[in-house]
Amino acid sequence: MDNIALRRQRPLGLTDLFGEQAAAYAGLERTLIEQFERWGYRRVVLPTIGYDETLSTQASPRLREQLYRFFDRDGRELALRPDMTVPVARLVGTTLYDQPFPQRFYYTGKVFRYEQPQAGQRREFTQVGIELIGAASAEADAETIAVAIEALSTLGVDTFQINLGQVEFLKSILNGRGLSAEALFALEQAISRKSHVEIQHTLDALEIGGEVAEVVLALPGLCGDLDVIARARHLTASPAAHHALDHLAHVYELLTLDGHAAHLILDLGEVRSMDYYTGISFHGYVSGLGFHVLSGGRYDRLIGHFGPDLPAVGFAMSIERALLVATKPALKGADLVLPACEHAACRRLARLARSLGLRVELELLGRSGDALANDALARGADHVVLSCDGERCLLMDAGSAKPRELTYDALEAEVRTWSR
Amino acid sequence: MEPLTFALPKGRLQEEVLALLSEAGYATDADVGRRLVFQDRSGELRFIMAKPSDVPTYVEYGAAALGAVGLDVLREGNWDVLEPLGLNVGVCRLSLAGPAEWRDRNLRLHSGLRVASKYPRLAHDYFQAQGISAEIIYLDGSVELAPAVGLADLLVDMVQSGRTLVENGLVELQIILPSEAVLIVNRAAHKMQFARIEAIVDRLAAAVVRRKRMAV
Repeated sequence: MDNIALRRQRPLGLTDLFGEQAAAYAGLERTLIEQFERWGYRRVVLPTIGYDETLSTQASPRLREQLYRFFDRDGRELALRPDMTVPVARLVGTTLYDQPFPQRFYYTGKVFRYEQPQAGQRREFTQVGIELIGAASAEADAETIAVAIEALSTLGVDTFQINLGQVEFLKSILNGRGLSAEALFALEQAISRKSHVEIQHTLDALEIGGEVAEVVLALPGLCGDLDVIARARHLTASPAAHHALDHLAHVYELLTLDGHAAHLILDLGEVRSMDYYTGISFHGYVSGLGFHVLSGGRYDRLIGHFGPDLPAVGFAMSIERALLVATKPALKGADLVLPACEHAACRRLARLARSLGLRVELELLGRSGDALANDALARGADHVVLSCDGERCLLMDAGSAKPRELTYDALEAEVRTWSR
Repeated sequence: MEPLTFALPKGRLQEEVLALLSEAGYATDADVGRRLVFQDRSGELRFIMAKPSDVPTYVEYGAAALGAVGLDVLREGNWDVLEPLGLNVGVCRLSLAGPAEWRDRNLRLHSGLRVASKYPRLAHDYFQAQGISAEIIYLDGSVELAPAVGLADLLVDMVQSGRTLVENGLVELQIILPSEAVLIVNRAAHKMQFARIEAIVDRLAAAVVRRKRMAV
């Protein structure tokens, strides 16, 4: 490929947003940030680049393969962040570990993964999310999920749900079996595919039978309302497993108090990323989308890689995925278009309108009259000053057939009654 | 209720999967013919006909909630879908094959081995696992030709009866992956339509079991 062609290209898996898409992106980001603020979360702004050693902490083999890596001038390996949680964990573990708890953070930022590009999956995408640090309680888990449910509800989709799992249930069942990381991963993958045959094969290969095998084989079907917890309890006598279920039931009940039960599915078959999560884990789904739009969970052993062990729970939503289904508000044109003239009155009017929060565009191409009216109205403007002499102007309103003439004092008075 | 979309693989598996679906209670009218979209009589499923290797794509994206596809096709790609059930139709195997003189050779000791395949990824993974260094030559069809014309030493391809191999003077050297048609399900659809999809899985599973009993 020659240089000129390359110069005009975007690398594979990256995208430009403009027009309604860009407006919807910014609007969604703003809405989510405002929600997080109302729950007491505070912004963190973190570097895009980090040392590979930092950013690969507790990363799955798959995520490790997906890192964009390069070298700094001293030959140290750098990477682009593949998620936002590890940078937050590094900040807390190294810097904020002795500050009062709980600490509530939110972030919005681009993350980078070398993925096969497809719908809703890009090599650069935006994660908006929260981390709640220093609280291990069911209340903390419930708060995180409640914020996630609120985030889903802003998308304006017909139906959405959170599938809530508890990886500690399976972990406590398998505990003491001395399974290698590879064996655990193979089992996790088989359960995650809901493939009965593959689960059975994997269990046979690992020589797991009896009660443990029964529980593992039952996992894909343990999906539904509170009844799931009762069914799971009958499968095992392990006190640790019962404790994990009690915790999950408590989280569920807390969310029920706030009327969220309709959006909650208990799903013990959700065991992805077992080596990362240490308690609840969840995914958010919306109607009309074939993959999850947010995911999160409890990760009590991540911050310990950077400082003292601290309990933590959080979630992140992908804005690009959410935009595939979110209702997109139409782009609104200017409230007022006026010529970029030198009349003091015109300039004062523009400043006044902007100070009132109105959108004011100056006509920069020297057009006036019909030419200006046609262009501005076609682009959705509400009001257009077609001509002016510093004392009086000719104003065209969207939807009316003819312009009207009025003084600047009258126009100023009218502008004060407009709102966006 | 809106029917759930089910992606069917055109060709070899199509009739067999439709017959099994019919036994599971999702019968279609006989005159479906060449239509690309049609419903079953109960209105629970809407079928779409797709190229086999496209079936997992429809399902992964959620354009279809369910689908049926050969395990060979599924493993050759890297799709994130659920696989709750083997359908026990289209049973075959992915095998390494070649001229008879390769039968007792130790492939690990052959550097510069050339292997033709329509399944480059599965072939590559197999040779990696075996410690065999082989160059994979991708072909889209008639892979049996490759050894005859000197394009490759061996081939990796689907074997059903083994007749095609015999007709081309080739022998099966090693089974790499036993395959059959499997039911696949979109992750999000499975979450959001759990009861409906589980019911379909259960009915298909019962039909598979009935057939196995009949065969015994």
